[in-house]
Amino acid sequence: MLLELRDVHFRYHGEAPILEGFDLDIAHGEFVALLGPSGCGKSTLLNLAAGLLDPLAGEVDFGGKALTGLNRDAGYMTQGDTLLPWMTVTNNIGLPLELRNVPRGERRDKIERALKLVNLWEARDKFPSELSGGMKRRALLARSIIYDPPMLLMDEPFGALDAQMRETMHQELLDTVGRTGESVLFVTHDISESILLADRILVLGGRPLKVLEEVRIAWGKDRDLDKIRKDPEYTALETRLRDLLRAAHS
Amino acid sequence: MNMVSKIEAAAPAAPIPAAQPRRAATRPAPVRKSRLRYRLENLAWQIVLIGGFLLLWEYASDRWVPKLMVSKPSEIGAMMWKWLMDGTYLSNLWVTIQATFFGFLFGAGAGMIVGFLTGSWRRLGDILQPIVTAFYTLPRLALAPLFLLWFGLGIEFRIVFAATIVFFLVYYNTYFGVREVSRELISAVRIMGASRIQVMTRVIIPSALVWVAAGLKISVPYALVGVVVAEMLASDKGMGFLLSRSASQFSASGSFAAIAGLLVVALIVDWIITKITDRALRWKTVAEQK
Repeated sequence: MLLELRDVHFRYHGEAPILEGFDLDIAHGEFVALLGPSGCGKSTLLNLAAGLLDPLAGEVDFGGKALTGLNRDAGYMTQGDTLLPWMTVTNNIGLPLELRNVPRGERRDKIERALKLVNLWEARDKFPSELSGGMKRRALLARSIIYDPPMLLMDEPFGALDAQMRETMHQELLDTVGRTGESVLFVTHDISESILLADRILVLGGRPLKVLEEVRIAWGKDRDLDKIRKDPEYTALETRLRDLLRAAHS
Repeated sequence: MNMVSKIEAAAPAAPIPAAQPRRAATRPAPVRKSRLRYRLENLAWQIVLIGGFLLLWEYASDRWVPKLMVSKPSEIGAMMWKWLMDGTYLSNLWVTIQATFFGFLFGAGAGMIVGFLTGSWRRLGDILQPIVTAFYTLPRLALAPLFLLWFGLGIEFRIVFAATIVFFLVYYNTYFGVREVSRELISAVRIMGASRIQVMTRVIIPSALVWVAAGLKISVPYALVGVVVAEMLASDKGMGFLLSRSASQFSASGSFAAIAGLLVVALIVDWIITKITDRALRWKTVAEQK
């Protein structure tokens, strides 16, 4: 297992406990979506995996070792625009390498590859303020994968995009992780997004947070998203998950 | 772009502590005439307006308004020429600029240091911020007699007086600039592998710089105001002294000549500071320019 949460307890100050004995396993190369209503604690789980939060009790293991401090072996991408506005696209994408003291020549090669991977080669010398929303997302994606982390932690990364751009980004994300073999922990409240992307969906709800349902999806990484949308199985899954989410809300 | 910053420079800076550095990206007007032509036309209009005003002034003086009160552009011009030639401008301006420079330097330096400390160290900020605000609400002019008592009539008094004005403007901008830095941004950069010091140098300081630059820009004219007021209160040198001496001798042309000298200095200083901050904030303006 790449990421393991064992009997994790967590609560915010002055609030009811969010996690009481929560378990979670994510295997190498697995794409897991956490689906649940807003504010249920999905992002808390993600931030525990990122090491931004510490559990009150229980264990968070990453790559077979107990996680202490920040999880620097993960890529992290949120809904927010976390590009540094005073750096060009090239420098933004290269920042993780620079912070990790990767030698200059190696850095240049990796940046070039990443820029081409997400189709930003033409825009490499632009500042974030000159980019469209979709280009910013692509730059953020490139930045979170450039140091080849074994796992991507994503918190509604495409939440602020229009429908068409989301479809493009979904395909690009699938292509990218298909090529690199990275695991993904993907937080979303969008049912169709979770079906389209994930190998396994965990429907979350309740307080303390529980896994209401675990859904395995067998389409694999090289799935054709357009075909899936027309698949009756997709519709059936969507209906089932919608009912589950409705139950989680009440 | 240049025009926007010129308009901004000409407009009186609002005395709000937290200035808004985020200027909405404005789309240029649809093209009907070339930009150069548009600017030349504007320039022509400006010359016509100012020239007309001066002519009216020249004509009205001594006819509609007593000359003792308003003098005449021609006499003011003659006075300015005389001061330019006999070194009155040079010696007094030099004194004023020196005091403004050091007042700005000390005030802005202290404001930035205290702002960074209180902004990035939350506990310290929560303790100190209300105290600083209390001092901010105090009219700075009320401190003048005390400063006079401590520092005497010399340049120290003028520097300290200007510095106290500049300090608060820069402090507030720095403090809010540091606090405004998004948590999400810091988390993202830390996971990428940044140490605490790298977060400070790579994220917090550059983010806050927009605000600091805005604070610096609006505080330069205030430094000049502080020095001139201090010179008018108690000094035997400087443009403020020249101004109050001329007025007390009922020399309206002298007063206007002193004001004109100050105007030129203020414009030059503002132009320099705009050049410097624009350069530092190129990443912000690059999208607006297109």
